[in-house]
Amino acid sequence: MFVAPLIALVAIWAIVVPLFNVNPRVFPSVGAVGTAALDSIRDGTLFAHVAASLLRVGLGTLIGIATAVPLGIAMGVSPTVAAFLTPLFRFFSVLAGIAWIPIATLWFGYGFGAIVFVIFNAVFFVVAYNTLLGVRTIPHSLRNAAASLGAGRWTLLTEVLVPGALPNIVTGIRTGLGFAWRGLIAAEMIATNVGLGYMLFVARDFYRTEVIVFGMIVIGVLWLLIDRLLLVPLERATIERWGMVRRG
Amino acid sequence: MNLMLQIWAGYARLTRRWPGFAAIIPFIPVLALWTAVSEAGLFPRAFFPGPADVLRAFVTLTYKGILPDYLQDSLIRLATGAAVGMALGIPLGILIGTSRWAHRICWPVLLFFQAIGDIAWLPILLIWFGFGLTTMTFVIVYTVLFPVVLNTVLGVESVPRDLSRAALSLGASRARVLWEVTLPGALPNIITGLRNGLGYGWRALIAVEMIVGTSGIGFMMFDARRAGSTVEIILGMIILGLLWYIVDAWILAPLERATGQRWGLVTS
Repeated sequence: MFVAPLIALVAIWAIVVPLFNVNPRVFPSVGAVGTAALDSIRDGTLFAHVAASLLRVGLGTLIGIATAVPLGIAMGVSPTVAAFLTPLFRFFSVLAGIAWIPIATLWFGYGFGAIVFVIFNAVFFVVAYNTLLGVRTIPHSLRNAAASLGAGRWTLLTEVLVPGALPNIVTGIRTGLGFAWRGLIAAEMIATNVGLGYMLFVARDFYRTEVIVFGMIVIGVLWLLIDRLLLVPLERATIERWGMVRRG
Repeated sequence: MNLMLQIWAGYARLTRRWPGFAAIIPFIPVLALWTAVSEAGLFPRAFFPGPADVLRAFVTLTYKGILPDYLQDSLIRLATGAAVGMALGIPLGILIGTSRWAHRICWPVLLFFQAIGDIAWLPILLIWFGFGLTTMTFVIVYTVLFPVVLNTVLGVESVPRDLSRAALSLGASRARVLWEVTLPGALPNIITGLRNGLGYGWRALIAVEMIVGTSGIGFMMFDARRAGSTVEIILGMIILGLLWYIVDAWILAPLERATGQRWGLVTS
């Protein structure tokens, strides 16, 4: 049911392109894209590009989450400190991602380091900001109740603060990854010689629209897989677990 | 310790009276730290300029008229893209939200095209339209469109059926139900969509200006990268951050809050 409209779209594409005799330099036929797909799978370039892109996103995201969540919670523990730091993190979460590409390439040179850095900071600031917000929105009565029932600092942290902020953290991860994914494609167009963004951009130099369209499809499918199989279930699980209903 | 507490109490009182300060004062320690690190010479000056250098670059570029021009270009592009994106997105969202058939046909397509992402379109757009304004506008419209459509659909669907039925049974025409029930009911979501869309559009604009631009803040930063001039890159980043901070915190967030409260929703 879900795929039917997409199949229809491909059918329209298959009919329209030969019908109007579209120049392959403007838009490729379905067959050409299929051939490009088979070629790139057979000679292993597709695998190399996808692996490079996923490695960068994975590494950047992991470092980002691993540093942002503890920091966000630590900042959120004291309400006054949190209030003080909120504008700062808001400012930096606004800047996160693509705007760092020029300076990242200057600091780390073109290549792996610069791209991982861009992804890291796209994830880091958004997740830290959302964690901070999450900890801030935990009702004070909950903390006081736990404390008066004899919870120590550690119990308070693991039983109240982390679980309470979790829905926000997960939302932050989803947003941050969205920015990171776009940042990845942009950074790969600018600053590397392997990866999906590079594959698209180099195909443009040779007017190979079939490679471009195939690359776009790969990017779309990959993101759908990441989002639907990883992020959405995670978000749903945390939100349902804590009984919150949220707009999408 | 005592002095620190007094300063802190003074700060708390100040921000309670003028909340605007709470958005500015936290940046002072960051600036101080930045100055200290750059003055200490831990990193080469060329890689890590201080605030004074950036301020000087700001004055020079403003004086030469480059910065105002670029800023204007970027803002006009973003505004055009946002306006077109909304003009297309809101009607489309309402159509998809109200008609089950449209929903069934369009929803998967929308999700897929949203997943492709704006920047992945750049190479093929460059082939179609060349390096220029059309390409940039297309990317920004594309970016703004999806969050607006998806959120409008959510908004339309969140309006209780009973309300439009009640309006219909009281003799309202379809058009009036749309205007007086569906649209106001979906408004908070539409605004949220606009806010998300502009957030993505803003980033997309920077990326596009870096890759295809001949003017604009993104171009300025990338041009500076080519020349190895860190000062202008940092200046560009600060301007981007400040500008979006102003748009988001002073215009979009209050708008979102206002529509949300007006219709009895609570948004964070």
